[in-house]
Amino acid sequence: MLSAALAIASKDLRLLLSRGTGLVQALLLGLLLIFVFSLSQRVGEVMGPQGAAAIFWLASAFCQVLIFNTLFAIEEANGARFGLLLAPVPVQAVWLGKGIAGFTLLLCAQAVFLPAAIVFLGQTVSPLWHVGLATVLLADVGIVALGALLGALSQGQAARESLLSIVLFPLLVPVLLAGIRVGAAAFADDIPEGVESWLGLVAAFDALFLGAGIVLFPFVYGGEE
Amino acid sequence: MQTNRLSPAMPLVGIVAGLALALCQYMIFVYAPVEQTMGIVQKIFYFHMPLAWWSLISFLTVFVASIAFLRTRNWKWDALSGAAAEVGVLFSGLALITGSIWGRHSWGVWWTWDPRLTTTLVMWFVYAGYLVLRTLDLPRERLGTVSAVVGIVAFLDVPLVFLSARLWRSIHPAVFASKGGGLEAEMKTTVIACIVAFGFLWVALTWLRAAQRRMAARIDVLATQTTI
Repeated sequence: MLSAALAIASKDLRLLLSRGTGLVQALLLGLLLIFVFSLSQRVGEVMGPQGAAAIFWLASAFCQVLIFNTLFAIEEANGARFGLLLAPVPVQAVWLGKGIAGFTLLLCAQAVFLPAAIVFLGQTVSPLWHVGLATVLLADVGIVALGALLGALSQGQAARESLLSIVLFPLLVPVLLAGIRVGAAAFADDIPEGVESWLGLVAAFDALFLGAGIVLFPFVYGGEE
Repeated sequence: MQTNRLSPAMPLVGIVAGLALALCQYMIFVYAPVEQTMGIVQKIFYFHMPLAWWSLISFLTVFVASIAFLRTRNWKWDALSGAAAEVGVLFSGLALITGSIWGRHSWGVWWTWDPRLTTTLVMWFVYAGYLVLRTLDLPRERLGTVSAVVGIVAFLDVPLVFLSARLWRSIHPAVFASKGGGLEAEMKTTVIACIVAFGFLWVALTWLRAAQRRMAARIDVLATQTTI
């Protein structure tokens, strides 16, 4: 299943990156969000680390919605979805493949958002930066597990982006809170409650939605128009 | 063969709910004493708590009915999960409003990062999104499946939302320790009576909406057959 998932992921990545349009739209939206939020500070004023971390994760969340819409839209044309469904691999391989591709793209986007948040929102990097980075990786696993599951909901549906965001964003609340708290600590080196409990929470989120994805994906990804 | 006629027990539950709620009004405003520090505003507690409890039961019902639908493909489970979500969003919305009024009077703020409040708000958002999803113009089979999947995922998230809100709150000042502690005997009886009365209301509303949903689906099928 893993090799099939990797094949699907590499196919998607090659298709999207060779066209160049897929990630550009998501990147621009995220950067625009960071820039627009930077307008909430007066000239010379520096935003608090928690505010900056919240904006970073908001940009990531919007970016992820666009990424999964694009990833699932690839197979919408010419009935290509039936090709994937007819392939002699478990249908979960599609979920895993889309998840891996989404994870890669989200990390690429965050590699741009992070410096942008530091520059536009006037942040510094504290000695806790490696914990912040580990949280980003761990949180992204949960976010893409859920994104790859719910991204398939919008198949064949107009107005996909808005629908996916209203269903997805409230579900992401635990992982976003963790990302924001630890992110703020990575900017300012101050987290009185400790990072362990937050990391544990994110790991639980990952485990829960990886399990839910494996069980529920075959129901949402089907042959219906 | 599914029957599409309304069960005769349904109006009965509605009547019992109405009578029980009327009795509750008497108990709230006459039988239960007025609280010393909060005064008459404390009475809102008798509405707030049953609403919050039964909204949680609604979301649990959506979860269980969604699993049952995916396993059996019986449309009565789909109707039940849709009805329970509607009643749950209504009840949790009212619980949030009454809780906010209580908070303003008791703690001086309209909103605070209390884990219970935050979890209720996030659940309200999730299930409001779920109801939007159910209105989509999709084939019936697909809509049922998709809604059931979201209904399951949404409930799995609830404990995590609660835990994260509790962790988050540790960085904010605690506004209060616990509510509803040390109730007088009359107040406790009234709260229990209200929870039971709202339970009847919940059953009546959910049952009615589920039956309406099944009828609407049946009418859709008949209309399609007539056009063909």
